[in-house]
This record gives sequence, structure tokens and C-alpha cells, in this order.
Amino acid sequence: MTKWYEETDQMHDVFVMKRLRLVRNIEGRVFPGRLSGEERLRLLGELEQNLLPLGEEDKASYTYRRLHEMDETSLHALYERRLINYSRLEEKAPAGLAVSPDESISLLVGGEDHIRLQCLSSSQTLDNMWKRLGPVDDMLGERVPYAFDEKYGYLTTFLTNVGTGLRASVLLHLPMLSSGNQFRKLVQEYSRFGISVKGMSGDSNENFGGLYEVKNQKTLGQTEEELIALVSQAAGQLAAQERKVKALALRSHRLQMEDEVYKSYGVLKYARKLSYKEGMTYLSQLRLGLCENLLQSEKPVNLFGIMLNIRPANLKQGRGEKLEGDALDEARAQYIRERLPEIR
Amino acid sequence: MLCEKCKIREANIRYTEVINGVATEHNLCSHCAKEMDFGQYTGLAGLFDSEYPIGKLLSQLLGLGEGDASRPAGKMENLVCPTCQTSYGDFVKNSQFGCPDCYHMFDLLISDKLKQLHGSDTHTGKRPAGKETEGKETILEKPLSLSERTELLRSKLKEAVLEEDYEAAAAYRDEIRALEKAAQKKGTKTTAVKEKPEEGGKEASLRESVLRRETPPEEEEG
Repeated sequence: MTKWYEETDQMHDVFVMKRLRLVRNIEGRVFPGRLSGEERLRLLGELEQNLLPLGEEDKASYTYRRLHEMDETSLHALYERRLINYSRLEEKAPAGLAVSPDESISLLVGGEDHIRLQCLSSSQTLDNMWKRLGPVDDMLGERVPYAFDEKYGYLTTFLTNVGTGLRASVLLHLPMLSSGNQFRKLVQEYSRFGISVKGMSGDSNENFGGLYEVKNQKTLGQTEEELIALVSQAAGQLAAQERKVKALALRSHRLQMEDEVYKSYGVLKYARKLSYKEGMTYLSQLRLGLCENLLQSEKPVNLFGIMLNIRPANLKQGRGEKLEGDALDEARAQYIRERLPEIR
Repeated sequence: MLCEKCKIREANIRYTEVINGVATEHNLCSHCAKEMDFGQYTGLAGLFDSEYPIGKLLSQLLGLGEGDASRPAGKMENLVCPTCQTSYGDFVKNSQFGCPDCYHMFDLLISDKLKQLHGSDTHTGKRPAGKETEGKETILEKPLSLSERTELLRSKLKEAVLEEDYEAAAAYRDEIRALEKAAQKKGTKTTAVKEKPEEGGKEASLRESVLRRETPPEEEEG
């Protein structure tokens, strides 16, 4: 089945991906972090028994795997596809992951919290995703009693999640805006409204491809709908800014932009090896060019899907080989070449 | 004195760093201080915001340091949650709670921190399906008027009689009589039932005694 990030029907301009995440715990039960390995395994068994199988409602057959029994590359690949946290990579303690066939809905049990429910989408609005995720949350809540406090709401391991347990985020492609000097200042302004804007790969030096994630910092005191509206609004503002800067640049520096876009296409089409950084940088340029009609592709192409699949662990996993260094860069160049559309 | 970093602007911030007991002093201008990596303090969103007055910035830094603030909290760190054995010290160290009961155990200690983090300490969003009725009942309890309360007691009395629980029924009957008497005394005025008034003050004073502000590292999130 096509994964959510492989849908090619449309390119959504500045908006790349949306994500909702809910954290829940079970009433009267100690959080996983406080348990010994053996106790955690027992807890996992219980969670599996009580919460699975998922997806009887929408007839989708979820795949379930125990994370602590997986090899490192597969785990990294899950992290790159946003199915598990970074902290989970270091963690060897028992936990399990149930994933819907298109990977848009996933349930992590026994991680930092008992339950971590997530929805990913490239085309739906956060509102619609909430309508989809809410019933799954309700269903799980019927199977196990949630730890809920009249004052504090849903109780979580971290104080940063308590209340709604909701993190809503929108991934934006901001190649023009983020290259400006004022960007950092603009981003800081948002924190005053309870919004954080961070590079997709976290550290700003490692963030290639102009992808930025807008998400709510606060989880308590506002309703889920209010938080979602806040994130949507902030993302919409940033997207509008990006469009403005793009339009301005197109008017004043069209030749330069065209040149960069076509050069990027050329490199992606003919390069024999590409590092992750190179791949991301040129794909980002190409995406900009396609969105702005600086060049047209023969058939629809999903560049974000390619961006996810050229990350090291996913590339290795896709090839089923142990690739390192040059061999990995060679495989990356080949992967991109095979998927790059002809241009008109 | 000029800022030691840019050597252009006047230094107006003195920053003393103590690493393994060795103190190093830095004199910086506000511009360069913004650029500097202040270790754990960088987590404070907006601490170095341009509009942030420098005086406030300094007091924040001092408040976070080894000043008086840590003394009253010393005892608190030994508080232990009976369910999962997490101490408040553990929580301060890795900002993780061990179980749902921790929230009740450390209730008064986290209130300020929650307000700092979220701007609020009260949940207003979704609630689990089962808890919906429970919540509504507690909301309704406060504004119950005398007449409403007697009405409620009457229905309870009826139920008790049907179940042949005469002891409970007698208790309800007495309560209804007492309420009706009170209603007659106060005329037709509908007043709320008295609630225990002492609790609020106690809580506030306890809360005041716990003036500790440390910022937990943000939880890792992929």
C-alpha cells in the first residue's frame, strides 16, 4: 500500500506534512520510565493484550512490532519516518509499535508514556486529522482507564505534555524565508505565542532542505481545538510570508532563481554520488522550482517522499544492504535518478 | 569597559561561570550575551528577547543560580511519592514523573512551574468518556440552591425507601427537615450550601513558601 508520504497527486506548496500526537497513561499504573526491564516487559505484554489489535473499526490491518527486538537500521528508519522519537533510538527497554498500512496512524506502547498515538498526513488539515484521531483515542480509552485528573487533565511523564497531551505540528518548506537574516528573529517572536519553530532535523546546522516544523509548546490550559487553531494560524502566517518573499524574489531575481533550480535538476539527474546534505539541498531547490512553475515535470512527483527515503537508514533498509560512505552516496544518487521525472 | 567579545560596545553584563569550582568572569554587552551559550539557561524561551529588560534578565539569572531560592527547596527534594518512589529531587533532575500519583504528591510544588511552562495550571480540553459525568457533577455541586438540594434529598429518600434501607431514609428525612427549617428562616432567598472555607488560605501560604524556579530540559521529541 502507498504510504502517506508517497501520495503524488498534489504538491502542497509550502505545506509539506502535518502531525498530531497524543500522550496517554493508564490510571493507577507506574509510568514505564520508572520500571525495571522485567517489569516493563510485563507491562508491555499487558498493553498488547488490552490495546491490540487496533483498526478493527476502519478494517485496516495494522502491523505490530516489538521495538526492542528490532535491529538498529530498522529502528533508525522508523525514526526518520517520524514513527518513533529520537530518545527511543538510545532506549533498549521493551516497547511496541502498531502502524496502519499507510503509516498515517501509529500507536507506540510502553515508551516514555504508556500510550503515544500519532497521526501523520501530507494532504489533510489538522482539523480533519483530529476528527480521525479523536475516535481512536476514545476507543483506546474504553479499553483501558486513562490517568486523568480534574485539574491537570491527562497525566503524563513529562510536565511539558500534561493536560491535553497534544502536540500539533505542521512541517513547512521555507527555502526563501529561512535563508534571510531576519528569520531567526521572526522565529523567536513566535515563542511568545506558545509556538515553536524548529528545523526538521533539529539542530539548525544539520537542517538541510529548508524544512521547518511549527508546533505548540503548551499543552495545558487550552482545548485541543484551540491548540490546533493556534498552530494552523502560525503555520499559515509563515507560509504567507514565504509566498511573499518568493514572489518578491521572482520579480527581482528570476534569472538567478531559474538558474539555481535548473542546475539543481541537472545535478540530481546526472550525479553519480550524493551526500544527504547535497540531496536535500538540490531536492529543496527543485521543489521550489516546481511549485513556482520555473520548470514543469512530465508527471506528478512527490519530492518529500524522496527526501524521507534518502535519509541514511531508510536508504539502507530499502536496498536491504549494508551500505556505508561512498556506496551509500552512490545508492542515494541512483535512488533519486530513478525517481526524477522528465521536465518539459 | 568594552565587551570582551565584540570589543565594540560597552559591556553591561557581567557573567560569572563556575565550572568545577573554578570561576571565570565575562564582561559582555547585551548583544553578545544574546549570542553566548549560557548552558542550561538557553532553554528559557524569550530570556534574551530583545524587548526583555536587562535588569529583569539579571535577576532571572541570579534567581536561577545558587542563591536563596534553593534553600527552602532543599527539604522538598526529599519528598517521595509513595506509589512509585520518585522523589521531588529525581523530578528536578530529569523532569520526569514516575506515576499519575506524583501529580497529587507534588501538587503544590509544580503549580508555579506549570504556570511558567503553559501559562495555566488547569486543563480545559477533552476528558475521557467515563469521566464526563463525574466532572459535570462536581461542577454542579457548588451552585446548588437549598430547594434543589432538598429536591435531590427527596429523590434519594424515595430510593432508600424502595430499597427498604430505612436507616438511610431516616437520615435523609432529618436532613430534609433541617434544610426546610433553614429555608423558612431565610425566607424565599435561594442561597448556596456552605462549603468549607479554610482550605484556600492554607494552600496559598504553602505555595508561597515554595518559591523555586528551575527550568526542566525540554523532553526529547522526534
